[in-house]
Amino acid sequence: MLPLRDLQELFYGALFDDAPSAVAPWIHCYETDGHEADAAQGVAIDPHARLAIYRNNLHEGFRKALALEFPVIERLVGEDYFRQLALSFQAEHPSRFGDLHCIGEPFARFLRQRFEDTQYAYLPDVAALEWAYQQSSVAADAPSFDPAALRNIPQEGYGQLRFTLHPACGLVRSPYPVMRIWAVNQPNADTDEVVDLSRGADFILVRRAAEGVEMRRIAAAEFAMLDAFSQGSNLADALESACTVAPDFDLAETLRRLIALDVLTGIQPTSRPPPGEPPS
Amino acid sequence: MNVSTRFPMPVAAHSSLRAGIGLRAQHHADIVARKPAVGWFEAHSENYFAAGGAQRSYLTKIRTDYALSLHGVGLSIGSTDPLNRGHLEQIVTLVRDFEPMLVSEHLSWSSVGGRFTNDLLPLPYTEEALRHMVTRVRDVQDVLGRQILIENVSSYLQFNCSRLAEWEFLTSLAKESGCGILLDVNNVYVSARNHGFDAHVYLKALPRGAVKEIHLAGHTARRIGQQEILIDTHNRPVCDAVWGLYAAALERFSEAPALIEWDADIPALEVLVAEAHKADAIAGVTHVAAA
Repeated sequence: MLPLRDLQELFYGALFDDAPSAVAPWIHCYETDGHEADAAQGVAIDPHARLAIYRNNLHEGFRKALALEFPVIERLVGEDYFRQLALSFQAEHPSRFGDLHCIGEPFARFLRQRFEDTQYAYLPDVAALEWAYQQSSVAADAPSFDPAALRNIPQEGYGQLRFTLHPACGLVRSPYPVMRIWAVNQPNADTDEVVDLSRGADFILVRRAAEGVEMRRIAAAEFAMLDAFSQGSNLADALESACTVAPDFDLAETLRRLIALDVLTGIQPTSRPPPGEPPS
Repeated sequence: MNVSTRFPMPVAAHSSLRAGIGLRAQHHADIVARKPAVGWFEAHSENYFAAGGAQRSYLTKIRTDYALSLHGVGLSIGSTDPLNRGHLEQIVTLVRDFEPMLVSEHLSWSSVGGRFTNDLLPLPYTEEALRHMVTRVRDVQDVLGRQILIENVSSYLQFNCSRLAEWEFLTSLAKESGCGILLDVNNVYVSARNHGFDAHVYLKALPRGAVKEIHLAGHTARRIGQQEILIDTHNRPVCDAVWGLYAAALERFSEAPALIEWDADIPALEVLVAEAHKADAIAGVTHVAAA
């Protein structure tokens, strides 16, 4: 008797073509006279055809889930090529989750390896934008920035503040106009526009508004600051990143606006000693 | 009175066993706006794992007006991998937040070695597999602190090491683990046709009190050579033969609420509501006849 563990490993291997025949001896064969299905005996098809049904489910289920997360990529490359891409992607990155919504995380990286240095080098950036969009739609809710958080912090300590971004915020940058590419490939976009890839770089902030996920192009300096915050930098360092890009960066205006948009929702507790205690 | 609930149940949903329908994101706004006359909704647990955002907010609104069941498709309860605790914790959170009337999983496995097929793969019906399933179902029930239902799946192959019929396996599982049974009448029909057993024998073998929910769905016939195999596609109306089997099931399991599943090529909400009303009509006829 084959242990259940071994049977499951053989079966999984057979679905991915490692050893399609290894599990076949364990699959029941029905007696048949070679013609119509006999209701008393079951459908007489061979084990390989039976496995093929499960293999098809495996690939189709994965492809459909991937297409739901990356509809613009599917539209850009066409359904047939997307099917091939999904197959290769699944072979390299089989699902590691009981939840199919998680499979797309490595997709932009996978496309980058494949299309870097080709005329389709914009595809991974479009995929990164679509993934950020999906992640934004399911991220946790968070309360707005509470000004009281700044109450006990002396102004000279502001440089040490580490702002936190709303969980539904995402940052995507690309040397290509990916936001335009995304927009003209929406199902309701009534345009035949061919996007000119040389029209410049995009710095995009993805956030969740009351009406749903919203994407907006922002200035490179603002992007640099948010990117620094998202990596845990403090305000002094984030400001330096922004000013490197644009020396006339208006910090006060930018912070006010980002707080009003619920992009910045809090400050991380710092390791600063409480007032009155000398620094060690 | 249960003071801890955040969802006072509407009287209509409590007082009848009207059929429910599977909840799909395409219908969220329509359901909230029109409050269709169905008994309850069933959500795929994994579709609402999101920490926040619109999907979750819709589920909260719908739960306010309707009873809900949570139907898992990804726990891979029959797998020989360690139980997926992270996945289970997300179900625990959903159960806490949405107070479902029923929680269900499948008589299947979908992963091994940490790799998932995200499909409902058949188990061999052996003593070893039964022991494994009993342990797993108990573990899940212990973590959730409540009974779960286990659903029979459609299958396209059987293992020749099986020593029990599926209905014997399911009955023993329910007895030994204390789980309930989610009887998918369409899956019984599909598997009966594919494997050549009598669907009525299956229904008659299940213990009356254990069946707590009935699923109804559409399937598709696919030709392979000279043969025709039925595939559980959930993309069309329930066929006449399955409605007939549903009527037979009601003779034994009249207390079990029915649910219409439609997961691919999803039609307008009205189509699903009409299917649910058809199930109600069949249940009504049966109730009168039994009285």
